[in-house]
Amino acid sequence: MNLGRTLSITKRIFRGLLNDRRALAMMFVTPIASIIIFGVAFSGDINSVEVVVVDLDEGYRIPPSSVPVSVADAIVANLDTDVVIIRRVNTEAEALETVKNGDAYGMIVFPEHLTQNAYSRQMDPGVPLEATVRLELDQSNVTVANSILKVVNEATVKASSSMGVQAAVTLDNSHAIYAGDARLRDFTVPGITVFDVFVLTFILTILAFVSERTSGNLARLRVTPLEDSELVVGYALAFSTIAVLQAGAMLAIIVLVFKVMVAGSVLLAFLVVALMAVLSLSLGMLLSTLAKRDAQAIQFVTLVIMPSLLLGGCFWPLESLPGWVRPLSYAIPPRYAADAMRAVMLRGWGIGQIWVELVAMAAITVGCLALSVFRLRGDRGR
Amino acid sequence: MHNGFVIETKALTKRFGKFVALNGLDLSVETGAIHGLLGPNGAGKTTSIKVLCGLIKPTSGEAYIFGKRVPDKSILPRIGYMPQETALYLDLSVHHNLAMYGELYGLSGKKIAEREKDLLRFVALEKWKDSPVGNLSGGMKHRVSLACSMIHEPALLFLDEPTVGVDPELRASFWEYFNLLKRAGVTIVMTTHYMDEAQHCDKIGLVRQGRVIAEGTPESITAQTGTANLEEAFLALSRRQVNA
Repeated sequence: MNLGRTLSITKRIFRGLLNDRRALAMMFVTPIASIIIFGVAFSGDINSVEVVVVDLDEGYRIPPSSVPVSVADAIVANLDTDVVIIRRVNTEAEALETVKNGDAYGMIVFPEHLTQNAYSRQMDPGVPLEATVRLELDQSNVTVANSILKVVNEATVKASSSMGVQAAVTLDNSHAIYAGDARLRDFTVPGITVFDVFVLTFILTILAFVSERTSGNLARLRVTPLEDSELVVGYALAFSTIAVLQAGAMLAIIVLVFKVMVAGSVLLAFLVVALMAVLSLSLGMLLSTLAKRDAQAIQFVTLVIMPSLLLGGCFWPLESLPGWVRPLSYAIPPRYAADAMRAVMLRGWGIGQIWVELVAMAAITVGCLALSVFRLRGDRGR
Repeated sequence: MHNGFVIETKALTKRFGKFVALNGLDLSVETGAIHGLLGPNGAGKTTSIKVLCGLIKPTSGEAYIFGKRVPDKSILPRIGYMPQETALYLDLSVHHNLAMYGELYGLSGKKIAEREKDLLRFVALEKWKDSPVGNLSGGMKHRVSLACSMIHEPALLFLDEPTVGVDPELRASFWEYFNLLKRAGVTIVMTTHYMDEAQHCDKIGLVRQGRVIAEGTPESITAQTGTANLEEAFLALSRRQVNA
């Protein structure tokens, strides 16, 4: 091995980088940005999830005191407010509605006479009275549900022991509002499917379309009567077909082979994945119109995939991001698909409940395609 | 047509940052002529063709094709363009490359088949019709590229270095074909830096540093400079430009 020859290869790589300032910048910007996002954004712990409370407990005056005490108030006071955000509603029906709509992850019901029954049972365990706090959860997000359970359980134990009723108060979480028997993989697999479809389709399209330019074909096509919009839509049709077939195959495998929970319609789940595929190719096409060379396209790939991985909610729940970071996830396309997929597969939601996500994805798709045409026109004749 | 000229440019200028690719290029090409743009690398030959095809916007100046100011979409069906790069789909067969371009020009399947037969005979690639272009040699790809630019029988053909990498025998047959096209009324604008090849053109423009420094028949240019051939004429003219 000749050191001189070896180093001449090394030198040429550095020279190339120095000549391509954008590549050089990206090489540092991407990893630094992603490590910052990761460090800042990830406590890893679930936080700030909404839970509704229905407090029907009227409290109890322990004679001779004239001040009523309440087990319910004590439990609420002991809830870890980093993890849960409490919203009080008046009726159980209202609470159930809130969770069913996806506006909260669980409801805590403190029944009538909770405190009074607790004291009676504590004094005489034989009395036929209930002092049970009910916790009903949306378990479609397994990690979130477990965190809420832990927090409520801790608060119940703490509050009841401080009031001396620890033997009487029980917590019942046997009834789930959604996805009662969901396993962790029922939560992760739909997210991974979405992410796979996104990455595969996006990379395939960005590379295919950029080679249209680098091969000189784009220039030749532009001297024919072909319109830019025809080029973009023609591409989109071809890659949609491929991507939709891919998505269908993946969905079939996760449902038939891995037996992931499907509470809702498989067809609707397919629609979500298919739409995700079409969105991904549109984004790929848009970014490839911004790239002059293959190397630039690759830079876009890392620039898009890193934040999607961290903030898309595909692999771990968005609820593990700090509250102020969460809104950023709306800029991450797979987020919509992952949300919609889980809603369909674990909660059994229909199109009426996920239409917002579907419309968001369709809008991003149309926007990307329109911008691609606009970009191609803009760069014609420069 | 504009004064009998298919192409006319007036003071065409194109700057890329600090680099001046075209520096007031004046060009006029007569209908039915084979017009060669001759000059060294970086003289502005390719840039002028790209401006004429509407691929590059000039910084200033005007260009007209068929009397219409470029860029104009209505002229596209009547022009053919063969870029310097291979610009073919390597994973498609020769046939499918040709067919796609034929379809883009709205030709019928029957018409495409007819044209394909003619063109493949001319570029001597009949046997390779169904081979993927990626498997062909450099010169063969070049011939496919030429065929693609002519599938729709354009009235005006821009050929950017059409004979690079083509063997002498085939080059001779190219010229026969170009003359055939010319007799059918087709105008051909081609770039080259082969001086011997330029001799075959009806008219040539010597391009240097983004300007046409001499224009005329090969004979008139050698006569004008009192030189024996185009190569010497070009060197003489370059020297004159430098001294001026």
